[in-house]
Amino acid sequence: MASVSFNGVEKAFGDTKVIHGISFDIRDGEFMVLVGPSGCGKSTLLRMLAGLEEITSGTIAIDGRIVNDFDSKDRDIAMVFQSYALYPHMSVRDNMGFSLRLRRADKREIETRVARAAQILNLEPYLDRYPRELSGGQRQRVAMGRAIVRDPKVFLFDEPLSNLDAKLRVQMRSEIKALHQRLRTTTVYVTHDQIEAMTMADRIVVMHDGVIEQIGTPLELYDHPDNLFVAQFIGSPAMNVVQGTLRRTNGIVHVLTPDGVQWPVANSGAADGQPVTYGVRPDHLELTASGERGVPGEIVVVEPTGSETELVVKIGAAQLVVEAHGRATVQPGDKVTFAVNPANVHLFDQKSGQRLTA
Amino acid sequence: MATRRHVLAEAKLLLIGIPVTIWTLLPIYHLFLFSISSKEEAFAGKLWPDHPTLRNFSIVFHEQHYFLNHFWRQFGNSLVIACAVGVLTLAIAAFAAFAISRLRARGGRFVLNCALFTYFIPAAFLAVPMYKAMGGYGLLNTQWALILAMVTIAAPYAIWVLKQASDKLPFELDEAARIDGASPLQLFRLVYLPLMAPSLVAVGTYALLLAWNEYLYAFLLLSRDEDITLPVALGHFLSADDSPWELLMTTGLIYALPPAAIYYAFKRYMVAGLTSGAVKS
Repeated sequence: MASVSFNGVEKAFGDTKVIHGISFDIRDGEFMVLVGPSGCGKSTLLRMLAGLEEITSGTIAIDGRIVNDFDSKDRDIAMVFQSYALYPHMSVRDNMGFSLRLRRADKREIETRVARAAQILNLEPYLDRYPRELSGGQRQRVAMGRAIVRDPKVFLFDEPLSNLDAKLRVQMRSEIKALHQRLRTTTVYVTHDQIEAMTMADRIVVMHDGVIEQIGTPLELYDHPDNLFVAQFIGSPAMNVVQGTLRRTNGIVHVLTPDGVQWPVANSGAADGQPVTYGVRPDHLELTASGERGVPGEIVVVEPTGSETELVVKIGAAQLVVEAHGRATVQPGDKVTFAVNPANVHLFDQKSGQRLTA
Repeated sequence: MATRRHVLAEAKLLLIGIPVTIWTLLPIYHLFLFSISSKEEAFAGKLWPDHPTLRNFSIVFHEQHYFLNHFWRQFGNSLVIACAVGVLTLAIAAFAAFAISRLRARGGRFVLNCALFTYFIPAAFLAVPMYKAMGGYGLLNTQWALILAMVTIAAPYAIWVLKQASDKLPFELDEAARIDGASPLQLFRLVYLPLMAPSLVAVGTYALLLAWNEYLYAFLLLSRDEDITLPVALGHFLSADDSPWELLMTTGLIYALPPAAIYYAFKRYMVAGLTSGAVKS
């Protein structure tokens, strides 16, 4: 078990800089997820930690020891690849024991450790099979087994679930989480899927264009996004966003959109007349009986999912998504009113995209 | 309707296929016919001899003719040289392809281009320079001269083919092995070689057969009867006014058998190896 620290880490491929001075710490035993759209540098960062990419500048330390100049094999890490990267010519047993064999470990010890990992991952019936004889989920488990057997200081996962179908992905997600709760090994997990990030992480690092947008626990990111990017990236369906101008009239604050809709706001630090981006999550728009105060809109599409109903509604000129609990009683074309609790509203500066705090 | 079109298409293919097959097999049948005929019958122009005989084989195997005095020795020479060329070419090409494709060695691209460039020069053009070079090293009339010359000719193609096949192995395998703690040599031995086996067999067979069939270089670089390979010895048959054709053909038939056997044994690899990396990750 170990902590990991990134300090001013940069990466350039030729003249193209892809990572711009990243610094953060991962605590001992923490499950840290790096998330962001493709091309944001999250995989490159992980590969630098793994020793598969050179570090252009800055330092990476594992357990307080700077590992910039260490070979992968001397960093005491194990990695699970998106493509599994199992050795096709070796049985499951040999795949899992390969690293120990390279370390010239005692044969009996290899046996014991492979057997223990196989038991944890329910791989015992498959030990003598070859990777080509396994299903996607089983291969994924072998890849994890190969990591567990080593008992490394840090586990690295590079989009490990991308090659699995949706159902298996959900199952493996909870298996990986359960594994972490059992072993408590420091884990760095890269994904582009924010749901994976939300459900698995102790803390999340949101990356975009080679910089960190925000670091925090899943609910911190959901409730208090630092900027518009994080606000729109985290949460599904994504946060609704409209552009408008902040107005203060007679002590009442609201955001007025160009099409004349007035959105309620808690007292904000923004100045009168300041252009702002107004964000509200789909589950924070609440259907109310018409006639009550609120934001008027018209139902466009009704999508029942069983436990919840997703509504696409037209408010002013904008189309927004609303998540209503339970069954919907509305029909497309209905005129309705939505209540918005000003406490659940997010305001961002239109230019910088930074959060405007109250 | 569909079946009729199917039959027609097949008939057209057969119409082309059958003559081509006969055309290819005819010389081999000729070879076989001579080898089971007596000298008198060999030129009778029959499709099957009146008195087929295995006497020719007995003469060859017992070295009972002036031209065949060193048959076994020369057969052995061919075998040793071909195997040595196969093994050496394989070693050189495997290391080179691994360094260029997997370790991304600097200058790899340049080496590869040079390898390709050698194909602009026909091997025959290099025969005399090679003769001079081997003379300079004092290797003339030794098996090493022919082995080294053939390795020189076979290696560029072998490197090229193996490099292409290596590129198809997923790079994550190397990275996984590096993280597992493999040194480059361990990666080569424990991961690369086993996965490249089909291509290695194909390339090794290619080099081996190239050396086995070589005439020009063997003729130039070796001269003593005890040193030459069988193709050169076969050439000597033609230096007599009254060539023993039936023995020439018999020896030729015997000489053609090992390559046929090798090809048959490895044909699975030949096809897979020369067309793809043949590895599913």
